[in-house]
Amino acid sequence: MPLLGDYLIVSGFLFAIGLAGVLLRRNLLIIFMGLELMLNAANLSLVAFARHGVTAFGAPDYNAQVLVFFIITVAAAEVAVGLAIIVALYRLRQTTHVEDLNRMKF
Amino acid sequence: MNPLYLEVSVVVLGIVMLMAEAFSGAGSRRGIAGLGILGLLAVLAATFFVNPAAMDAAAPYARFYSADLLAIFLKQLSLLATIIFLVMALEYAPTVEANLPSERRGAGLGEFYTIPVFTCAGLMWMASAKDFVMIFVSLELVTISFYILVSYLRRNRDSLEAGTKYLVLGALSTGFLVYGITWIFGVTGHTNLPEIARALPTLDHAVAPALLFGFGLVLIALGFKIAAAPFQFWVPDVYQGAPTPVTAFLSTASKAAGFIVLLRVFQTFVIVPELQAKILPLVAVLAGATMVFGNLAAIPQSNLKRLLAYSSIGHAGYLLLGVASIGAPFAGIAILFYLGAYLLMTMLAFLVMIVVAKATGGDDISDFAGLGRRAPHLAFGMLLAMLSLAGLPLTAGFLGKLFIFECAFRQEHYLLVALGVVTVAAGFYYYLKVVRAMYWQQPADPGAPEIEVGGLAKITIATLCALIIWLGVYPAPLLALLR
Repeated sequence: MPLLGDYLIVSGFLFAIGLAGVLLRRNLLIIFMGLELMLNAANLSLVAFARHGVTAFGAPDYNAQVLVFFIITVAAAEVAVGLAIIVALYRLRQTTHVEDLNRMKF
Repeated sequence: MNPLYLEVSVVVLGIVMLMAEAFSGAGSRRGIAGLGILGLLAVLAATFFVNPAAMDAAAPYARFYSADLLAIFLKQLSLLATIIFLVMALEYAPTVEANLPSERRGAGLGEFYTIPVFTCAGLMWMASAKDFVMIFVSLELVTISFYILVSYLRRNRDSLEAGTKYLVLGALSTGFLVYGITWIFGVTGHTNLPEIARALPTLDHAVAPALLFGFGLVLIALGFKIAAAPFQFWVPDVYQGAPTPVTAFLSTASKAAGFIVLLRVFQTFVIVPELQAKILPLVAVLAGATMVFGNLAAIPQSNLKRLLAYSSIGHAGYLLLGVASIGAPFAGIAILFYLGAYLLMTMLAFLVMIVVAKATGGDDISDFAGLGRRAPHLAFGMLLAMLSLAGLPLTAGFLGKLFIFECAFRQEHYLLVALGVVTVAAGFYYYLKVVRAMYWQQPADPGAPEIEVGGLAKITIATLCALIIWLGVYPAPLLALLR
């Protein structure tokens, strides 16, 4: 059976992959996928912590699992709004690359 | 009255406004904004009759919802900011209409008046949140509605660009926030701030790095929200590109709510001496960097919106200095006073800017040239806002800075206080640049017609001016309210 540490390592990798995607890739859609990956990394470690941190009653801590449901819902709302903004940007500019977003500069 | 009704009535108001929008034909939609202003004024009046004791301490919601002084004051600030936003939005409506791809008159305006009401509900919940689940959900309600508001002008390149940047960086900070919460939960076994505070002193030394990792991630996420250096790089672009009323709303209400959450999280962790020794210097460094960066980068700006964006970073630095001196008994009141004063003067500056930009067609400092002769009343409003932001005595901004510096001095942050005084002096330079343009420069077009100001905007400008001077001369009533 996998231990808590194994889950945390996988979730750490997911978070790192997501962050690297946000920082290194130039396409807005890929960046957005990276952002969602970061949220899912948090979900995985939350569920792992909840399963392994058993309360006095012998049941898992449900607080963290409720938070996971909230994160899933919020991520869906964020995607809905975010994709709408990216579509609006594409209609106006015919691009989804961050290099083209350079109208305002110091 | 139970404080929970406040948020519920704001949400109901928002739904009523959406319904009114859905069932009304083509038109200017001014009625919907009026309905919002009246409704929010009623809720604002109700906040003064709230009785926190009416809340059942054993009820399930009392675990994540607190109605202390801090929360009630921030709720009042959020409501005030939303009301002023609606007044600004009425003045700004022609620009919104011109930048939406629609044939029908008034299409898209109703939503522009309604979404901030839901943002306001999110801000009010944020003020009361004392559980990480609640903090996360209310913060996201605020952030996601701001994504829509920032990119609202769908035919305007700047607005969409600002919206995209805000979307990516806002979502990034959300990622940091939830991952940080995860680790704090993993170490302490709780998401509730009072329970975490109880669990912290009993923890083993070996888990301290994991706890600090989690706290650090949460601090980064909140640093994005309050625009603290080095997480401030999104601010100038987003503030410049967003519709001006949204910029004003973003730089006041959203920042204030971010500070309240920071304060609550900070107070939970700072009680453990071991953590305090590691966390306090970190916040002090953030405060110093933010003050210096914000004030120095503002100096060469020629666009007033961008200048105010950098100045808002500078003000976040002074507020962080207050957070770093939280050990002083007066620090909490000083931070709240500063937040209130900052809200009044920033709103005043943006409101005058919207009115003037409507007439001159731009928001560069050069567009304000000769305003002192063209529209003396508007120029006086802008003058007062700039002097108060700079921190001239007899204005609210001066007392706000004085209280914060006094607390920092008591906590022996001598270097930071010296740095603060130097950056305030730098601030005088760029704020007075605007004043110089208004009073000492010739207007580009001497024969330009008089600037028209709507009735509501006139009343709001006058009220804000009066409040700034009143708080600067006689702050005792507000201080008594906060004590």
